[in-house]
Amino acid sequence: MLRVGIQERQNWRKKAAEFGFSFHTLQGEPYWDESAYYQFTLQQIEQDIEEPTLEIHQLCLAVVDKVVKDEELLQKFQIPHEFWQPIADSWQAKTPSLYSRLDFAYHGKGPAKLYENNADTPTSLYESGFWQWLWLEDQVNAGKLSKQADQFNSLQEKLIHQLSNIADFYGINSLHFACCKDTTEDRGTVQYLQDCASEAGLSSPFVYIEDIGLSECGHFTDLQDHVINSLFKLYPWEFMQREEFATAIIPAQVNWIEPLWKSVLSNKALLPMLWKMFPKHPNLLPSYFEDDLSEASETKLIKKPLFSREGANISLLENGKTIVTGQGPYGEEGFIYQAYAPLPTFGKNHTLIGSWLVNDQAAGISVREDSSPITQDLSRYLPHIIL
Amino acid sequence: MRPVVTSYQGTPQRVTTQKPSQKRSSSINISRMRKGFSIKPLALGIAAIFLSACGEEKEQATIYTNADECAAANPSMAEQCRTAYQQAVEEAERTAPKYASAQDCETDFGTNQCRVVRNESGSFFMPFMAGYMLSNLLSPRGYYSQPMFTSYSGNSPFRNRWVGSDGYDFGDQRQRNMRVNKEVFKPKPTVAKTMSRGGFGSSVRAKSSWGSSSSKSSWGG
Repeated sequence: MLRVGIQERQNWRKKAAEFGFSFHTLQGEPYWDESAYYQFTLQQIEQDIEEPTLEIHQLCLAVVDKVVKDEELLQKFQIPHEFWQPIADSWQAKTPSLYSRLDFAYHGKGPAKLYENNADTPTSLYESGFWQWLWLEDQVNAGKLSKQADQFNSLQEKLIHQLSNIADFYGINSLHFACCKDTTEDRGTVQYLQDCASEAGLSSPFVYIEDIGLSECGHFTDLQDHVINSLFKLYPWEFMQREEFATAIIPAQVNWIEPLWKSVLSNKALLPMLWKMFPKHPNLLPSYFEDDLSEASETKLIKKPLFSREGANISLLENGKTIVTGQGPYGEEGFIYQAYAPLPTFGKNHTLIGSWLVNDQAAGISVREDSSPITQDLSRYLPHIIL
Repeated sequence: MRPVVTSYQGTPQRVTTQKPSQKRSSSINISRMRKGFSIKPLALGIAAIFLSACGEEKEQATIYTNADECAAANPSMAEQCRTAYQQAVEEAERTAPKYASAQDCETDFGTNQCRVVRNESGSFFMPFMAGYMLSNLLSPRGYYSQPMFTSYSGNSPFRNRWVGSDGYDFGDQRQRNMRVNKEVFKPKPTVAKTMSRGGFGSSVRAKSSWGSSSSKSSWGG
């Protein structure tokens, strides 16, 4: 695992405009950064990332299977009571998932350590599935990279395939897509999935989350008053389950993507559950619920809210004292604690590997860098190659 | 009819050829991903209708105003005629345009052309089904049907036309036999009366106003 400098493609900004990649620069700072790339060996990718990704994913599904049947655990996961049965039902019915991303700390050798599972609303999908793929094509064609260079990235292929499977599962030829207003990154991610859905032969109408309506018959509607039968929502379940339309979610009988059972996986309570069920697993970090904290022997712990996005509200504790605090609006539902395992540094950069799953298959990685040890939503995205 | 676009920039540009052990997507439809120079939506719509009209998936279809008319024309298929009619009636109830007032409905469809539909949450108005379109009635693989509407209103562009639930114009009402694209038989979205909006998104408003300077801030992760 190396960080290698490389000349940027001269025309990449023009190309980004042409392809509608509008969030490569955020708040004046580069988000997409192609001044360097990460290089992995095939062995690093397959043995250290792909295999653990598949394995951890299966462990996570084992947690879902346990939690959906256990009221005490559902309580611990802070899932509202009225969703317990529907979540269990969605799990029993094996309602299909589209995608998720496991975040790992990986140093190029040794076991990758799971930081968290973004199972409900992962982003950086377009940059991973398409834009870094195009970067590799361009750089190989320009002779800047070896023709042997590959990339761990079958995301787009697998997304199209899985959208087609989901359409078959529900017998649908149209799938609504939704995200919040005023976020170019989320809109770009959803547009990408709409493009993938079109490739899969589906129509893919869009509606903003805030514009979703409730019909007199209890269905959700888009702005054209069309009933939303199936919805991909880039909006967290834990928000939806606490908002005004929460009581309408079950009666509306929507085919949800991600499915309701993802409420269990996108929840940071997953981490201490994994550690309880699979203690000492090489790819897991010791993790604790607040009331089990006395079991923790680690001097350095990361404190994470049960629900949070992009590093918000994450604190570093040393011998019980707060050393670093990430700001943010989360935490009212409680916290979990995870053993501190620093990210590898390359120069001044702290590097995080996001490992994608589409359905149950490993589908590629994204590499992000931050100048802080806690990866925030303004961290930079760098492409990678396998050589 | 929702236009079905298969390709709007010529043959999709495919890059790279498959290597057996490759860890990345073997091919990506680059033209699908291009946004900046794509054809304007209006032109795209026209092109799409043109494309689908030229497609090979054409079906012979006939419109009947009721099940008896269908049975008279296809004596051996009387039962299918009745079943298809009933299905079309149910589909009409689900997908027909719905109006809050009788007056609005009659403006579009003509005097006495609308009926009231009631359920537990109130009442609304929809046009009577004027007929149903049948295709492949004699095929052992099964038939297609869909409800047809027409307007008697002098103000309506649909006056004396056959119109599908989604407003697709199938031509003059005197015309009963036509060749149509298979797509027209695909299920139509249910149209509903929306009572309220904005019941999702409050967490974002609350968390945005918490003081983040970011105007972008993803709600994904």
